[in-house]
Amino acid sequence: MIENIKEVKKDELLAEVKKFADAKARFVTAVCNDLGDKLEVTYFFNMSPGMEMHGLRMTVGKDEEVPSTTGIFLTTVLIENEMKEMFGLKVKDIAIDFGGHMLLAQDSPVTPMLKTGAAGGKGGE
Amino acid sequence: MGIINTSRIKSPWIMHFDNSSCNGCDIEVLACLTPLYDVERFGIVNMGNPKHADVLVVTGPVNRRTARVLKNLYAQIPDPKMVIAVGTCACSGGVFHNCYNILGGVDKVIPVDVYVPGCAVKPEAIIDGVVLALQKLSKALGVAK
Amino acid sequence: MAPRTVAPFGPQHPVLPEPIQLKITYEDEKVVDVVPAIGYGHRGIEKACELNEYPKNIYLCERICGICSCIHGISYCEVVERLWPIDVPPRAKYLRTIWSEMSRTHSHLLWLGLLADAFGFESMFMQFWRIREKVLDLLEMTTGQRVTQSISVVGGVRRDIDDEQKKKCIEVLREVRKESEALINVLANDYTVKARTVGKGVLTKEQAIALGCTGPHLRASGVKEDCRMQGLQAYGDLGFEPIVEKDGDCYARTLVRCRELLQAIDLQLEAFSKMPEGEIAVRPKGNPPANEAVYRAEQPRGEVFYYAKGNGTRNLERLRVRTPTYANIPSLLVMLPGCELPDVPVIVLSIDPCISCTER
Repeated sequence: MIENIKEVKKDELLAEVKKFADAKARFVTAVCNDLGDKLEVTYFFNMSPGMEMHGLRMTVGKDEEVPSTTGIFLTTVLIENEMKEMFGLKVKDIAIDFGGHMLLAQDSPVTPMLKTGAAGGKGGE
Repeated sequence: MGIINTSRIKSPWIMHFDNSSCNGCDIEVLACLTPLYDVERFGIVNMGNPKHADVLVVTGPVNRRTARVLKNLYAQIPDPKMVIAVGTCACSGGVFHNCYNILGGVDKVIPVDVYVPGCAVKPEAIIDGVVLALQKLSKALGVAK
Repeated sequence: MAPRTVAPFGPQHPVLPEPIQLKITYEDEKVVDVVPAIGYGHRGIEKACELNEYPKNIYLCERICGICSCIHGISYCEVVERLWPIDVPPRAKYLRTIWSEMSRTHSHLLWLGLLADAFGFESMFMQFWRIREKVLDLLEMTTGQRVTQSISVVGGVRRDIDDEQKKKCIEVLREVRKESEALINVLANDYTVKARTVGKGVLTKEQAIALGCTGPHLRASGVKEDCRMQGLQAYGDLGFEPIVEKDGDCYARTLVRCRELLQAIDLQLEAFSKMPEGEIAVRPKGNPPANEAVYRAEQPRGEVFYYAKGNGTRNLERLRVRTPTYANIPSLLVMLPGCELPDVPVIVLSIDPCISCTER
């Protein structure tokens, strides 16, 4: 189990993230999980200075739009673009939008990290 | 062309390109240039510009984005040129050969002359590979080594 | 207004051995705007880790990056051990600490060499890399490989260090420390080095935290934060204190890494003297249970974040790796605009970029 994770609704996300920004926390990363019919996104923050970590978790449908946190933490720009192209998470208004081709090239498979994604083999066999 | 071909064999200029390797082979290629292995004593010089290079040293598997860059660099190197695939990934794709963004070894995109296997390759093996490439080149040019 | 020019920096560039492209817009000699274009190193390791069985993933995770591969392997094992949870024998903890610090030593020597190369101090580059070979020899002697060590397994480590090897390690490390001190003395006090690094790419404490920087980059801006402070592995027993500088420029980052290099050697020597006897590995029973875990470790480049989710089978449901460079790249967007064009390589190098880590 991971400690200090708080479940939030999609609409509360920005307000909760703002609280971390006001507390001078450092954004660590976000993790996206494919739960079958839904996506689970967890944002992790480190309470600087120190090594205490807190998380915000929200569960959204695959076709729901999600607000971007880049207005509060610029550094989330990479991870939001990555979640967008790997999982098809619909994040709107990212500060720098790579248009689904930050890591993936034009001819790469689309949303390869989804469980249903036909994404090549295991490697190394 | 006698003297030019002779100097090509005696002092090849190499250019290193990293596809999407894990860095392990890249730092070993760099280690070849440093005092312990010091390939410059054989006249091998590392170049940053493809137009000055004779030998292209490629590390890492080709992914869908670097394929274009690699073709471009290969086209910019003047003939006669040699390509050395350094590392298991560059030879065949290695542990990544089946991953979704990987096309496979370097030979999927450009012709390869010498394969140097190993993960990560030891600097001695890289030097061996360059020597092998030069033997091949001297045979092709008809120059006695 | 001077005309604006756009120059691509990379993907093939002599300063960076790795493929990243920065589209730099500049007026005269002044950089106005920077757009990073990444994706040249993306392989899809996270997906491959879901499809492979959990013991095999160690080898994939080690190949996320060849320079910090040792700590990647160890961190993966630690996060999977937390799923059960498994308790690792104390000797294995010490051995993991020793190899982590040994790979930090080689990585910092490598970086100091590359930095010297970035501003054209060629002989310094050669000297640092000459010392580095001694550390690589130690790694080869103790683990069997120079670069990708594959030393850690789930439940412990694969090999032990015997007394003869220990003696040799201590002897060589003392030698390395002495030689590094002499070189660092030159690097830190040289007029030309200062001219190229002091006041370049300044990042304040507030900016560094807001941009989520990690590792030496963060500590150079005056934030006392280091994952080794968590006291995991053997760090709790060793007298560890993070190294912090205030100025937040390229020179401060260099100093942090110089001091960390010496500290890493001291930590190894201390760990060798305190290492307990005993088992080096336990066998994990069954498969990773349906659970999730996070683990953070301090890599040479900063904090690495591992997230694992098990589902009771031999495969993991999800593995996510956030590498230090991933967190440090956004700071380039703040540091580069406004600097001079010739300073770009030094500033880019000062975050110690590791692109294959970033893109996995």
